[in-house]
Amino acid sequence: MIEAALDAAVRAAGDRIITALAARFRDLDIAEDSCAFACAAAVEAWRLHGVPRDPAAWLYAAARRRALDLTRRARVRGAHRPDPPVPPPTPEDVVLAAFEPIPDERLRLIFTCCHPALADEARIALTLRVICGLSVARLARAFLTTETAMIQRLTRAKRKIAAARIPFEIPGPEAWPERLEAVLAALEIAYAQAYEDAAGAGDAAGLAGEMLRLSRVLCELLPGEPEVLGLAAMIHLGEARRPARLDGAGHMVPLTEQDPARWDAALLHEARDLLAGAAVLGRSGPRQILAAIHAAHASRAETGETPWERILALYDALLAIRPSPVAAVNRAVALETVVGPLRALECLEAANADGRLDAFAPCHVARAHLAERAGHRDAAKAALARGLALTSTPAEQAFLRRRLAGMSG
Amino acid sequence: MQYMLLIYEDEAAERSPQSLQEVVGAHMRLAAEMREKGVLVTGDGLQTSDTATSVRRGSGGVTVHDGPFPETREQLGGYYLIDVADLDAALAWAKQVPVVEGGGVEVRPLMIY
Repeated sequence: MIEAALDAAVRAAGDRIITALAARFRDLDIAEDSCAFACAAAVEAWRLHGVPRDPAAWLYAAARRRALDLTRRARVRGAHRPDPPVPPPTPEDVVLAAFEPIPDERLRLIFTCCHPALADEARIALTLRVICGLSVARLARAFLTTETAMIQRLTRAKRKIAAARIPFEIPGPEAWPERLEAVLAALEIAYAQAYEDAAGAGDAAGLAGEMLRLSRVLCELLPGEPEVLGLAAMIHLGEARRPARLDGAGHMVPLTEQDPARWDAALLHEARDLLAGAAVLGRSGPRQILAAIHAAHASRAETGETPWERILALYDALLAIRPSPVAAVNRAVALETVVGPLRALECLEAANADGRLDAFAPCHVARAHLAERAGHRDAAKAALARGLALTSTPAEQAFLRRRLAGMSG
Repeated sequence: MQYMLLIYEDEAAERSPQSLQEVVGAHMRLAAEMREKGVLVTGDGLQTSDTATSVRRGSGGVTVHDGPFPETREQLGGYYLIDVADLDAALAWAKQVPVVEGGGVEVRPLMIY
């Protein structure tokens, strides 16, 4: 009963309590420690006095009291005294806290955690830790590293925030574009990592659900930023397809062969609303275009056909504002149905003229697909074998192996 | 909070006397603005690294060497010491420091005792 009430309160308000304390005391460690302390104190106090009417407000009051005490004690340096027991919040504290809602400081904290002065690999881990409350163990699994390495990464980032005094502030207008870009880039990279595992069986895939949640938080906090909505739409579309990405045997199913009936209709619907909301704001950007490409693929659920010409036009628009070799490969694939495999193959080779995609499995898979369509069977087999050698997830390996076997037959 | 803005540049980068004058002028203007806003603690340019002498401590004791400590292409060429509220404010100033292309400014908070 007490544990259930505590769990519910932490789930409902834990992130807001930690971020509010971090913003007020400008210290992530104090915020985390105080919140943990309040939870431990709650178990005892609630057992004695019963569960308070507003458990979240009780936790916030207790955590704030503890944080105040910790900062005060940190100021009296060198004075070694045993920790005095912190009394649980008085009924007045709790009553007052219930009238004063926990401030929502999540946006400030997102900007702090994704500050460009922090190491790339620390930003999203720290954001998920602070905003979504993911445990170190969970983060270590999601980022395919050890718990010790993850603790080091988080500690180093927190130390830099404190030592270099990275502010707990929403950036001003001059810094806004650069800082928002840093947040979006961190999210986009982390989601790409989570998405890569088609099976969703690997540990990184669990991260995808958290990224979906984080993207919703960001939309709620920044509803006027079209690229935020665009990125959220992209994540929604990616997650909508997740149930269709594997067949019964656990093999990967490529997007164009997926059964639209297995896509998550609710998520698709949400994505469409997000994209429409972004369009109304009238400022296009790379994430909106990418989401539009995913949405165009998803439109097959209603029309039964993939609108390749529209997809091609969107890739052209994307490459014009944010050129990337990966987008160029995908554009070549889209080109095939419009101008034929030979011309598409030329474009693919042009995209990889400098050989920088040689270690990128999808490039070889795309080449295999186009070569096969063009009737170059040996070239297709060679490319597929190369793609297979570069693929590490079992579901994709199984899919490629089956295709390779099909070509030999 | 005090931050040191360390200016690193390739000393060998070609510069015409005219552009050199422009750079000096830009530094003067920046320093004046920093002074006006009350953030400048101190700042100076350094002579080129061919004038540098390093004192190194190894297992055999202290030895004196010709040249700068790190033998890199980009060398420390000058610094500003500023006193501002936080890293964002320090970065905003660092972005205004004139440097040749390829160079940069390292922003380091001072130790607090």
